[in-house]
Amino acid sequence: VQELIAQVINGLSLGSIYVLLVTGFNLLLLVAMIIHFSYPQVVVFSMYVTWLVLQLTGNNLALGIAAGVASSVIINLLSAPLFQKVMSNRREVDINSTMVLSMGIGMIITDVLSHSFNEGLPVAFPDSLSSIAPIVRVGLISVQVGQVWSLAVGIVAVSAIFLILYKTRPGRAFRAIAEDPDGARLVGIPILRTGLYSYGLSGVLGGVIAVLLAMLLGSASPGLGEQVAHKVLAVSIIAGLGNLAGGLVVGLLLGILEAIAQGYISGSWSNAIAFVVMLVVVLAKPKGLFGSKL
Amino acid sequence: MPLSLYYFLSITAVNILLSWAMYLPYRVAHLHFITVANMAISGYSAAWLVMALHVPFGWALLAGFALGGGIGYLVSLFIGDAPTFAVVIVGFTFIFITRTVIENLNAVGGTMGMFGLPDIGGNPDAHRWIIMAILAGLLLLVGFLLHRFDHSRLGRAASAVFVDKDLAASLGVDMRRLGMLLQTVSCTIAGGTGVLYGFIYRSLHVDFFTFELVGIAMTIIFVGGYATQWGTVVLAPILYGVPLLLPPAVQEWRIVFYGAALVLVLVLKPEGFITRRFVVSIESFLSVSRKKRNTLSREDV
Repeated sequence: VQELIAQVINGLSLGSIYVLLVTGFNLLLLVAMIIHFSYPQVVVFSMYVTWLVLQLTGNNLALGIAAGVASSVIINLLSAPLFQKVMSNRREVDINSTMVLSMGIGMIITDVLSHSFNEGLPVAFPDSLSSIAPIVRVGLISVQVGQVWSLAVGIVAVSAIFLILYKTRPGRAFRAIAEDPDGARLVGIPILRTGLYSYGLSGVLGGVIAVLLAMLLGSASPGLGEQVAHKVLAVSIIAGLGNLAGGLVVGLLLGILEAIAQGYISGSWSNAIAFVVMLVVVLAKPKGLFGSKL
Repeated sequence: MPLSLYYFLSITAVNILLSWAMYLPYRVAHLHFITVANMAISGYSAAWLVMALHVPFGWALLAGFALGGGIGYLVSLFIGDAPTFAVVIVGFTFIFITRTVIENLNAVGGTMGMFGLPDIGGNPDAHRWIIMAILAGLLLLVGFLLHRFDHSRLGRAASAVFVDKDLAASLGVDMRRLGMLLQTVSCTIAGGTGVLYGFIYRSLHVDFFTFELVGIAMTIIFVGGYATQWGTVVLAPILYGVPLLLPPAVQEWRIVFYGAALVLVLVLKPEGFITRRFVVSIESFLSVSRKKRNTLSREDV
């Protein structure tokens, strides 16, 4: 029982990261109307930037975290005109083209990380950021700093996003565009500018996720983004594309499922179990469990 | 045949076949990445049949085609008319699961891979010529079938689905059956290609079937032109060949170049370099010159 509880705690912290990733992904999907498949690759790039700045500044955490968040925002904002140009080429919202474009961006990011940072080897974060020392230990159950942070920041960040969406003026604009882009344009909502806000907001979220991942995993590798990208898209599809609440439930469930599988099944099979479950659900319900918001 | 020429021609042929395998379901807007997983499954299965059970290569190749098609058909039962993103994620998930299974299966070498696949013709030179002949035959066959498909009612139905699903449905197109057909054929082609891919190198490793391979095929399709089969034929040798001419330090960055080319083309020239209009104009030019030739020869008579 203790082992199960320990794995559920692991799963909740991992799941909260998935929830944040899916929230950022869905925000871009609903407001900017793009499938930013490589959003997790942007997050991993930010992890590398954080690592680089920590190396250069003698582990100055504030600078490292700021650089990670800034890089994520900058990449997101730089990619915005590309996505908007692709959609204007088609004279309509073309989710498939934006997904392919995003995959292209992902290819570039992954390969740059494979060559430019630490000679392509995985990078390890210093103990000051990724302390794996347990703060609570009861039998087999141990809670680490990174787990507490990821769960706490996950709750705060998702609450903040929902607060922005439902209690602020830009949030209302986000929801209006998500409901009906043409109607939103008719009532005077600046579609382009609001879309840019969503790139910025998901960029900030991406930077926060990068720091949390660094704390939780303690390391990063170029291939990490690809693996996470598939899970995020799968979670989003299983929940129903654009369904924020569904993403919250499915993200947490995936984290718990993966952690339990890791606890009881050895090696890479545990990851495969999560993928098999995702595959079965996607095959059975290709349009999602909670209904698509598109 | 020089080894470098053999690898250039054979890998270009494999890239064309893989890209065609992805191009076919993309005619109904399905990015069917399961093709790469099917290449791995069929390639490893055929290699195991040949090495462990001493099955002749020809039968193993046929088994590879059948296995690819069978898996494609079974999966298409579920995603024959699924949205593109669901098809994408099924493909990626399949690749990941396939890689995990292969890495953990000792019978196919696990993480070490399979080495020392036998020469088909008894010696390396004959092996290369046989592989090249099979690849050339397969290219001609698949190319001809794709050409016929593009000019058939099914091809027009696929175009209608790509442009507007509601329109296609109102025209009576059975999108599920069409999607299933294209996905099954696509996986059949990928299965056979996977077997040949393994026998080109006479070895197989799980890292042959990565997301990088998906990226290369996507670049070939979208930069070459996704609306016709000919963009693939033009771009595959260029994309594979040009980096070989560059210094090794630059070659390392080829995936960055591929990604940049993909992004730039999607932004600046969304239909790719070889557009349908371009192909139609070439076809009409050829047809006019053929008519002129026929008229002249009739006048001569």
